Amino acid sequence: MSDGAIKQQVPSRLVRASWHEKAVARGGVVSIALFFAVVCIVFSLATDAFLTTPNLLNIVRQSAPLLIVASAMTFVITTGGIDLSVGSVLALTATLSAVLLQWGVPWPLVVLGLLCLGAVVGAAQGFFIAYEGIPAFIVTLAGLSVIRGIALLITGGYSIPVDPASGFNFIGRAWFIGVPVPALIAVVVLAVAYLVFNETAFGRYVTGVGANAEAVRRAGVNTRLVTLMVYVLTGTAAALAGIILASRLGSGSSNSGQGFELDVIAAVVLGGTSLFGGRGSVVGTILGALTVAVIANGLILAHLSPFLTPIVTGLIILVAIWLNFRLFKGGSRSR
Amino acid sequence: MTENSPYRVRMTGISKRYHPIQVLDDVSLTLKPGEVLGLVGDNGAGKSTLSKVLSGAIIPDAGSIEIDGEVVSFASPADARAARVEMVYQDLSLCDTVDVAGNLFLGREPRRRLAGLSFLDEARMHAEARAMLDRLGIVIADTRLKVENLSGGQRQSIAIGRAASFDPRVLIMDEPTAALAVAEVEAVLDLIRAVSARGVSVILITHRLQDLFLVCDRIQVMYEGRNVAERHVSETSIEEVVNLIVGRKFTARSAGATDSAGVTA
Repeated sequence: MSDGAIKQQVPSRLVRASWHEKAVARGGVVSIALFFAVVCIVFSLATDAFLTTPNLLNIVRQSAPLLIVASAMTFVITTGGIDLSVGSVLALTATLSAVLLQWGVPWPLVVLGLLCLGAVVGAAQGFFIAYEGIPAFIVTLAGLSVIRGIALLITGGYSIPVDPASGFNFIGRAWFIGVPVPALIAVVVLAVAYLVFNETAFGRYVTGVGANAEAVRRAGVNTRLVTLMVYVLTGTAAALAGIILASRLGSGSSNSGQGFELDVIAAVVLGGTSLFGGRGSVVGTILGALTVAVIANGLILAHLSPFLTPIVTGLIILVAIWLNFRLFKGGSRSR
Repeated sequence: MTENSPYRVRMTGISKRYHPIQVLDDVSLTLKPGEVLGLVGDNGAGKSTLSKVLSGAIIPDAGSIEIDGEVVSFASPADARAARVEMVYQDLSLCDTVDVAGNLFLGREPRRRLAGLSFLDEARMHAEARAMLDRLGIVIADTRLKVENLSGGQRQSIAIGRAASFDPRVLIMDEPTAALAVAEVEAVLDLIRAVSARGVSVILITHRLQDLFLVCDRIQVMYEGRNVAERHVSETSIEEVVNLIVGRKFTARSAGATDSAGVTA
């Protein structure tokens, strides 16, 4: 046919993407990378202490719980869900680790048991979300309330000390090859999250469920199990964060991690992951979490009121998302 | 199996009633291997319902379905897929934020094992996706493009290409050319020809009558849940098909264009 001949003469329409187009395609990550760079430069110039190895390691050590939970939350939000219960799970595991250690349970067993508890809590919430079809916001809001309630009930509102001689304290306080252990744990979790998100079928289905769950279901994938699993991830990650926190502080408090879920969600959204699902980036989440952490650290080093932290963080969230919508419009095409 | 019956699909006496409405009333449909059947009718004539019966989405009240001479009964779309009957759902089968290759291989991604763990084999996936697209003559510049950045016709082509890659015996397409630009309609019709040339039987449901005459071998007209006519494309015209679709009452008005013997109950 003649149209066949015409088609062959048409040159490839594939134009090599310019740096600008590439930037637009990854709008979320690029804008948070810019913010991160700006914040780091500002604090490096404004304070002498910011750009020193001990301070940078300290930032990573302090933000380890945030980084760990935010990497898991990236999966949840990419499916179009949300997990509001992570702060409560963190408080529950922090208190339970102190309680169990007081009872004389060996610390490796405590760690393992609490990670399993986090997974079970996540699975229970995931069951109601994935199999019973209740909105994630409601299920995890209930979880937020119930789980913190349990933590308060256990401690009676007091903070429970961890025996300073216990090996448990290594998790939060020890240094290994010049790096704090919590930072090492965070790096490992982030690397695994990155690989799973980008290089495995599960990661692909997480994105697919957020984009068009029905298409993924029709392709023969057990989408309910995928949805349940992302809540198992956040539950387990929050448990790990609780263990690290209790170990670093040397006590388990039922009041720890209040508002933690909001920091986590802020870090994920700052990183360019869409709250509507289908679009997520682990690298963006890392940058988002570090930006939040750097702001908190830098403001203190600059001798400004620590109460400025939430104000600045909130403004940056708004501006970063606004930039995504305006400057990098092409990358986050509205549906 | 195949020797016994010349038909790929034989649906006989299919009836379905949704309380007061008889949606399908003793409908039959036959389809030969590699044949393209155009299924037309006004809105509510029952063509979508009939195709859903064949794809397992709707269970009929009465009637039987034979595929390659073998009696089948589908309780779910999964049963139909197991019998290699595929249906193309335009908006329900693609993930916008996943790339072309990812969509083509959704649910059956090539894997490679690394240190005992299973990872996506992206290189193989893109190579096979490219081969799959070339085989069907689908023009997509890059298999790494996200589906949201493609045109309606390209999206439709990918949905069809994906269905065709399951090596189906029957492919059902509901309005694949609706809302497409002219050149894109051509591309999708080319694709339908390419698929049927590979021996796949195709059922094409459409309101675009001109498309029927370009790709179909045969046209079946439905009217209010019944078969009203069946024509070979070479033996009919657009005017006649229009009359058959709208019903007898308009026969007289356009009788000049066709012979009235065309209308049979």
